[in-house]
Amino acid sequence: MASVTLEHVKKIYDNNVVAVHDFNLEIKDKEFVVFVGPSGCGKSTTLRMIAGLEDISEGVLRIGDRVVNDVEPKDRDIAMVFQNYALYPHITVYENMAFSLRLRRMDNEEVHKRVVQAADILGITEYLGRKPKQLSGGQRQRVAIGRAIVRNPAVFLMDEPLSNLDAKLRNQMRAEIILLRKRVDTTFVYVTHDQTEAMTLGDRIVVMKDGYIQQVGTPQQVFDTPTNLFVAGFIGSPQMNFLKARLEKGANGYQVNVLGVQLPLNAEQNAALTERGVLSQDITLGVRPEHTSVLFEKTAGAIECEINVNEMMGSELHLHLSSQNGDRIIVRLPTVDLSAEQRSRLAYGNKMYITFPAKVMHLFDPKTEKNLIFG
Amino acid sequence: MSKKQIPEVDIVVDEKAGVIREVKQATRSKSGHERRVNTSIYIILVIMSIIWLAPFVFLVFQSFRSYKLESGGMVDYLLPKNGWSLDNYRFLFEGSNFFPWWGTTLLIAALCAAVLTLATVMIKRLGSENRHMKTLLTVLALVVGYGLFIALMVRLLGLAVSAEIAGKLVLSALLLLIAGYIVARFYLKQDSRLLRSIPGYEKEKTSDVVKKVIALFAEFAVIFAILACILKPMTASQYLNWYGNTLTVALFTAVIQTVIVLSVSYALSRLRFRGRKLIMNVVLVLGMFPGFLTMITLYFLLKQLGLTQSGAIPGMILIYCASSGMGYYISKGFFDTIPKSLDESARIDGATRFQVFLKIIMPLAKPIVIYTILMAFMAPWGDYVFASYIAFGSEPNFNVAVGLYRWVNVNDYQGYFTRFCAGGVLVALPITALFLALQKYYVEGVTGGAVKG
Repeated sequence: MASVTLEHVKKIYDNNVVAVHDFNLEIKDKEFVVFVGPSGCGKSTTLRMIAGLEDISEGVLRIGDRVVNDVEPKDRDIAMVFQNYALYPHITVYENMAFSLRLRRMDNEEVHKRVVQAADILGITEYLGRKPKQLSGGQRQRVAIGRAIVRNPAVFLMDEPLSNLDAKLRNQMRAEIILLRKRVDTTFVYVTHDQTEAMTLGDRIVVMKDGYIQQVGTPQQVFDTPTNLFVAGFIGSPQMNFLKARLEKGANGYQVNVLGVQLPLNAEQNAALTERGVLSQDITLGVRPEHTSVLFEKTAGAIECEINVNEMMGSELHLHLSSQNGDRIIVRLPTVDLSAEQRSRLAYGNKMYITFPAKVMHLFDPKTEKNLIFG
Repeated sequence: MSKKQIPEVDIVVDEKAGVIREVKQATRSKSGHERRVNTSIYIILVIMSIIWLAPFVFLVFQSFRSYKLESGGMVDYLLPKNGWSLDNYRFLFEGSNFFPWWGTTLLIAALCAAVLTLATVMIKRLGSENRHMKTLLTVLALVVGYGLFIALMVRLLGLAVSAEIAGKLVLSALLLLIAGYIVARFYLKQDSRLLRSIPGYEKEKTSDVVKKVIALFAEFAVIFAILACILKPMTASQYLNWYGNTLTVALFTAVIQTVIVLSVSYALSRLRFRGRKLIMNVVLVLGMFPGFLTMITLYFLLKQLGLTQSGAIPGMILIYCASSGMGYYISKGFFDTIPKSLDESARIDGATRFQVFLKIIMPLAKPIVIYTILMAFMAPWGDYVFASYIAFGSEPNFNVAVGLYRWVNVNDYQGYFTRFCAGGVLVALPITALFLALQKYYVEGVTGGAVKG
């Protein structure tokens, strides 16, 4: 149970590659923070610096009140779960879990109690006598988590723990990690490249790219108010649609011209833009697939598109549309309120009309890639 | 094709069968030819590889020809004419206390093994609340067990305590310490009382206990043999003396060299430090110079330190261990295949680098550890060149190779050839036994299950 503070932390590898630039973050006690980003963005490096497996080139790392830059991993009171499980193959599951306790010269009875308790939480009691290679992937991952929780660490680090599992098992384990978090109730730092995991698990998400923090916020904040094009595109599935557009400042406030349609902004957005002194300019307009209204009949102020692909997902449809000037737009359409007649019209080549409500439009500067309102 | 179109089914079938038969014959004759060629190549290869064994077979036969009843030299026949005899072997052990007492030795070894096993079984019964008491009792049992053993042995060998004997006793105490440590690790393992409540936990089988007792017994017997060689080797033939020298040098070299090689390999595989690549390259280039280049220099260096002639044994140990770190290639390659995340995981679990090495890497690298030990043991065991010039002129400090060579060179080889053969056979025995016992580790892969698989 401890907070983790990173101040201006920087990682420069021996070959002068800078993996992490000026990382500033305060992780509160008992908080679940998720680092998310594409591969090579420095999220694992940051985690390994917290663990003490990588040296910190510059900056200060605190766990609790203690500066731990030069503290050995074993003295940091942390536990880590690795992507490839890293179980000791020559000893049983029981001994794997007891390993750290034995190194601390804990009494046998106490070791036994803790191991059995942890195994009970994770449902691996019947495998305690086996060797790791006799277990399936999911069971191994449980053992790896069990090995971490027997110690009651101050900080719990997880490095892509689910990415070696198949899709079904991953969903199941994700739910179990949420449950586990309630039970062990300590500080978690979790690294993943999967935005779904990040959204579902984290109290706060840290979105990273090329060694820089792009945005820090709750899942809702990151989803609703992405600060730049990268975050907007990375969070959310299917990806947010980006369209070339123009922002015009008129007498009655701002409006967006996109694909020959004028869309006015709402009062809040107007106020924010006015306050920031934004002038008429070219913008990139971002709209999430689930926020797009789909119309079957031609309406004033709606954009005409043609259906390219119709992906049936069961509860919803993903329509891949192309506009008249070739922009590709993806739209999510719940199937439950579609009539049979409407469904029959969702075929290749048919015309569809879409429109965007003002409050779901994200305006980005195409040059700086920043959000014009929140960036 | 045209024949296939004939309407009668029988004929078609016949035709088809004929065609098929022809094809079959063609393939058979072709593959038969290939097979013949392959077989003959295999036979040639097998003969070529085992033809080197023929002299050894002759050597073994020669060693059973009595030097008293027949000629002790070279003869133009293979099998002994006057029947098989052990005269040559008897000559090697003549005047030694070891040979007449071997039956008693085995009895003592069995007794000590039984006492120690019983003691540890009793100690295991104690609950874990008496942890310190248990450790104390185990150490006590070990001391009593080994003490009893060594006391009986010294008594049987009829040793008079002198400065020389005292030095050798210290040497053997070291050996015992190593053996004792292994045994202690063996018996001080966590008791399984707590684990029995867990489903699926494999209980200790009776056969395992029997195996442990046999291992302990064998250990005592081997230690006795070694100590007999080291402590009381003065036989008429000096053979046991030389054998003891070789064994001492080989054992110490094996232990020291293995420790050095494994440590160097681990460091080069796991740690990243400045000059790592440079060291590896320099060692690679240095390794291309033959070791014999340094012979003369080494002799003068050792002479200055007083490690030649009468000090030849420590001198030889020093030489064999000196550049052992350079042989890191194979074990480093093996360590590289063990996932690094195991190290990292263990370090986060609270292990120091040394504990990681000892508790994680060593058990996983068992095949390479055994390979390293064997190689380190083999080199001094069969060495002639270094041993011959370091111990030059000092007969009690020869190793077996040099001593046996002197029998057929300086002494008259016509008389000593069969005894030379007998000595050679005994030299081959421990190595053969070691290889037979440990060969399974060469092929055993143990890293399975560490990462996704």
